[in-house]
This record gives sequence, C-alpha cells and structure tokens, in this order.
Amino acid sequence: MRNLVAMAKRIIRQIVRDKRTLALLIIAPLLILTLVWFIFGAKAAEPNLAIIHYKSSDLLPAFKSSDYARMSPLQARQALADKKIDAYIDLETPVKVHLEGSDPSRNGLAMSKINKSMQIVQQINVKKMKASFTDIIHAQQKSIQEQQQTLRQMTEVMQRYAPSALTSIMQNAPKGEKPTATAAPEKVKLDVTYLHGNDDLNTFDSFGPAMVGIFVFLFIFMIGGVSFLRERTTGTLDRLMASPIKNYQIIWGYMIGFGLFVIVQSFILTCYIVYVLNIYTIGHLLDVLIIVFILSFSALSLSILLSTFASNELQMFQFIPLVIVPQVFLSGLFPIDTLPGWVRALGNLMPIHYSTEALRNIMIRGTRFEGWWFDGLILILFSVVFIVINILVIRASRPVVD
Amino acid sequence: MTYYLSVFINGHFYLYWLLNISQSHSIIINEHSVQLGNTKDVTIMSYPVKGEHLHKHYKNQIVLNDVSLTLHEGEIYGLIGPSGAGKTTLVRILLGLEKADKGAVELFEQKPTLNAFRSLGYMAQSDALYNELSAYQNLDFFASIQGMSGKAKKQRILEVAKTVNLEKDLKKSVAQFSGGMKRRLSLAAALVHRPRLYLLDEPTVGLDPMIRRNIWTLFHYLKGKGATIIVTTHVMDEVAQCDRVGLLSEGKLIAQGAPKELMDHYGVPSVEEIFIAIEKAGDKK
Ligand SMILES: Nc1ncnc2c1ncn2[C@@H]1O[C@H](COP(=O)(O)OP(=O)(O)OP(=O)(O)O)[C@@H](O)[C@H]1O
Ligand SMILES: [Mg+2]
Repeated sequence: MRNLVAMAKRIIRQIVRDKRTLALLIIAPLLILTLVWFIFGAKAAEPNLAIIHYKSSDLLPAFKSSDYARMSPLQARQALADKKIDAYIDLETPVKVHLEGSDPSRNGLAMSKINKSMQIVQQINVKKMKASFTDIIHAQQKSIQEQQQTLRQMTEVMQRYAPSALTSIMQNAPKGEKPTATAAPEKVKLDVTYLHGNDDLNTFDSFGPAMVGIFVFLFIFMIGGVSFLRERTTGTLDRLMASPIKNYQIIWGYMIGFGLFVIVQSFILTCYIVYVLNIYTIGHLLDVLIIVFILSFSALSLSILLSTFASNELQMFQFIPLVIVPQVFLSGLFPIDTLPGWVRALGNLMPIHYSTEALRNIMIRGTRFEGWWFDGLILILFSVVFIVINILVIRASRPVVD
Repeated sequence: MTYYLSVFINGHFYLYWLLNISQSHSIIINEHSVQLGNTKDVTIMSYPVKGEHLHKHYKNQIVLNDVSLTLHEGEIYGLIGPSGAGKTTLVRILLGLEKADKGAVELFEQKPTLNAFRSLGYMAQSDALYNELSAYQNLDFFASIQGMSGKAKKQRILEVAKTVNLEKDLKKSVAQFSGGMKRRLSLAAALVHRPRLYLLDEPTVGLDPMIRRNIWTLFHYLKGKGATIIVTTHVMDEVAQCDRVGLLSEGKLIAQGAPKELMDHYGVPSVEEIFIAIEKAGDKK
C-alpha cells in the first residue's frame, strides 16, 4: 500500500512539474474540441444560386431575389464555371437545374434549397389551377342564376293563368337541397416529433460524444505510454525492479497516479463541452464523467502495454496511426452499418467504440446506468485484460521468487 | 566450502589459489551465528551474493560463458575488464534484472526474493533518475519504495545528500544537473536505504578526483560497517583499493584474487598488465 502511494505520488509530482505535459493533458483537448465545434457546430453554409429566363416566368415569386441572383444565361454559365455560384435554374418550362457539381456537400446544400423553392412552385401551380376552376364555377353559377330568373318569370305567368297545373308540378318536383358549403381542406403539413434530441441538434452534437472519447484516449495514450517508456529507457524501471516493490504495485501505481489527472481532465473537458460549447446533452454529468474516466483507464493500460514494444518515443508515436486512427473511423463517428462484417467486428474490439455508444446514450438519449452499464463493463474489461498482461510482462522480466 | 578460489585461465587449465584460508575459516565459523537470527546486528555472513556457472547470450553472441563468483561479507570486489566484456550483464544477472540462460544466483544464501532487495543497493551504469523531479523528490521516492517513511526518511535523505556533496542542490530539478551531479545523486539513491550489499556499475565515471576520493572513502567506511560492495570500474587506482578483483574478458572470469597477489603471481607491475600476461600465457599454450 505504501509503495502504491509512493508510486502514485511520484507520478503526480512528475506531471505537475512538467508544465508542458500538464498543458497537453488538459488544455490541448479543449483547444481541439473548440476547433471541432467551430467546424461542425456552425450553421450550414448557404448555397449561392441564380436563375435565368425569369422575366416571362410566373414562377418568379418562388425564387426570392435575396436567395437567387438574377442573371442572363451567359452570365450564369460563366459564374458557374468560376465557382461563383453552386447552381442556376432555368425557369423556362420544364424547369432545369444546372449544378456546379464538384463538391458533393455543396451539391446537397444547393439541391435542398432548390427543392424548397420547387415546393413553392408547386403551390403557385396549384393556385393557378384553383383560380381557373373558380372561374368556371363562377360562369356556371351565373348561367344557373339566369335560368332560375326565367323559371321564376314562367312561374309567375303560370300562377296567373293556370294555378292548378302549377301546384301539381310543384308537388312532383324533386326537392333540390341547398348545397352546404364544403369545409375548406386542411393545409397539408408534416408534423415532426423527435424521439431523441430536437431539430437544433447539429453535427457537433452528434460528433461530440465520439470526440470526447477520441481526445481523452489520444492524450492519455501518448502521455501514459511515453512516461512508462521513459521509465524503461532511463533505467528507473530497473531500479524499481531491484527494489522490494511488487509487480502489481508498479502498474497500479501508474494507474492511480494518472487516474487523478484523468479525473481532473475528464471533469474540465466535460464541463467545457457541456457549459461552454453547449453541446446537446440531457444526461447526467456524473454518468458522462464515469465513462470518460474508465475509458482513460483502458487508454492508459493499453499505452503501457504497447510501450513494451517501443524502444524510443518515436516508436511509441508510431502506434498512433495503428491504434488511434482506426478507432476514430470505426468508433461510431461515421456510420459503419454498411461496412463488411469483419470491419465491424474490428470496431467491436476498440475501446472508443464503446465509449461513444455509452456517451451517445447518456448525452442524446438521456439514459442512466441501465443504458450504459454494458458498455462501461466492456471498457473495464479492456483495462483489466491490459493490466493483467502488463503485470505478466513485468513479471517475465524479473526472475525473482515472489 | 571455498578453502581456495578457483581461477581458470582461458578455459584451458585451472589454477588453484590458496589465499586467505584463515579468513575463510572465520567466515565458516560465523555462518552458524547467521542462522540464529537475521537481525541487523549479525552482519557477518558467508556470502551475500553467489553466482554459479552463469551463461548468457544475446542472439548469437555469447556474453557470459560459465562465470562463477562468490562475494564475501564485508569485502570490496572490483569487476574489471575491457568494454563489452560483460560486466554490466553480470551485475544485472546477479541482481535478477536479467535472466541467465544457465546457472543459479543466490542473494544472502537464498534464491533471490523481493525481500532480499531491501538490503541491496543498485546503481546502474546509466543514471536512472526522474529528470522532472528535484533531487530531493528522487531520493524521497527511492527511499519510500524501500519502506522508509517520516522523519527517519527525511533525515536519511539529508545525510546521503551530504555524503555525495549535493546538500545544496536538493531543490534543483535533476534536468538541470551536470553529469557528475547526476552520477552522485544516482549513488545517493543506491545508499539511501542503508543496504548491506551494493552493486555499483561504474559509480565514479565522470567524477572529478576529489569527489572520487571521497566516494572511495565512503566505500571503505561502508565496508567497515560490514557492507559488501561489488563495483565495476576502469580506473586502475580504484582497482588497487579493492580487496579482491575479478578480471572479466570476453565473457569469462579469467582471474580473480587480491590485486597485489595477482600482480605478484603474474610478475607484472599493474593490474591491467595481467590481461596481457594471461593472453600471452594462452598464446603459449
Ligand atoms: N540487451 C542487449 N541486447 C544485445 N546485446 C547486448 C545487450 N546488452 C548487452 N549486450 C552485449 O553484451 C556484451 C556485454 O555488454 P556489457 O554491457 O555487459 O559490457 P560491459 O562490460 O559492461 O562494458 P562497458 O565497460 O562498456 O560498460 C556487449 O557486447 C553488448 O553488445
Ligand atoms: Mg557496463
């Protein structure tokens, strides 16, 4: 126990005295997350659009001049070629859309904007049809009124000259019912409800949980791995091994020493994205913290394990493309449902996969313990396995009777 | 037991050395008193370290080839030999930091245990310090994992800092230390828990003659208190101060004994010339 405390205390002192490491551990993730927030959290960019052949078109009201520049066909073609506009619309019937087309995301933006305008076009068409129908109905009503007028005159004449014939006609006449005014048809409108989240949820809100996992993992992995590697390369690990300290105390000392920083780091990071970046979250802060915390443990234990296979810092960093990058892609940041089975199976071997799952459940779906215990358990299992291997590795290099 | 010490030269023939027979006797007599109680007062022991028939190879290079050595309680044993002879490897194997391919190591007449490390001070050839920490924090950590605590620990840290002339630099971080200061701090870390057995791999390399002399005075003082010291060195005037020296060459312990007697035996005026003499003898054969 005392050895454990001594180990942890030493690691804490080392980190505290090494200001750069401390900054990397705490400030760097904040900076990067802020950057990500600016990139993904910003409102979607507006596409630049134009219309041509608009003068004679009655669809013009659908294309507000604030959204669509008015151009001649020649201007429009030139602007499209110069990438000044993303698309232009030819309003001659049938309506045609010309897209610039080199950037799929801008294509999508342009098309969704144009589709909105096309809905208004349809409304205009419907209104036009409605107007022409009303005209026809009005004409018919007029002729009916004229017929009724003559009928009334005929009835008056008959009343004067043949009243009995009139009563028999009136009795046999079909009882015409007055047409009741038909209820105006309701406007068709989509009523959207969200099971989770709301329509304000932007890309950052859904990326956020994965991002937190990735950055916590990355920085703990780097710092933990390098500091254990140094222990090996400078020979201090030999000194430890030539002392009565037990193998598990070496590894657990690391876990505890770094664990304290991890608590501080997770706390600052979580508070920052929740309260400063205002990421969408309906879950409890404590749940988020617990997940981030146990994720860091798997990062730390994995980095200690991999440092065994590195003989210098550069080799340690060579593990990043191998260990971190695949996790970024398979962690749930991007949909992986359509990937081949073995790739998805690979994703299941990655700690960040589980932290993302758990953090999404907590932050967006608002679940509590019953929603994330499984992912949390797997993360703990990762750590346990790595820690056990670490202890065995140290034991193998220490031919001493315990 | 060892009424004589076996020394074999180039593996061709054995040369039996009859020396210190009386001393060996006294050790054996005292062996029984060691068994009675393992308290600190009973400082006399027959052999704090014993390595028997140690073999070690890396890839296809043989680094140690059947090396046996036994240290006596309260002696300073110098391990000398050219660079790459396997001195560091031998020390690391004796410590249990490296596994020997063949052969056995005993610490304090037992298979090495964690507990034996309590009475063992190791100083590696590299400084093995935490550069981010201050000198005090380094010593504090190494003292703590050796089971020291509280006031006694603090007092002891100041004490060893004084012995290596670092008492004014304790607050400095090791990153700002000079090479020699690091070396002295590394030595202090090996001393801090008052071990009975010291394994020091080139403890005085890179130090100025004054400090070097102080350190050797310290070794003699420790020896006087019953400690056993094994030290590797390249410096010949240090070799002369050892009670016994072992000559390691290409993974073999080619000669071993008191420096004076070795020189007399080979009829050479200095220890380093023994290497040459033995080589010549081997060639003649
Ligand atoms: N980890 C290792 N892997 C491969 N070879 C090694 C390793 N450690 C030592 N050696 C080899 O073993 C031989 C003996 O090395 P050792 O460090 O014991 O020499 P030394 O006598 O201490 O030398 P020096 O006086 O220079 O310190 C050297 O040839 C070295 O190349
Ligand atoms: Mg060496």
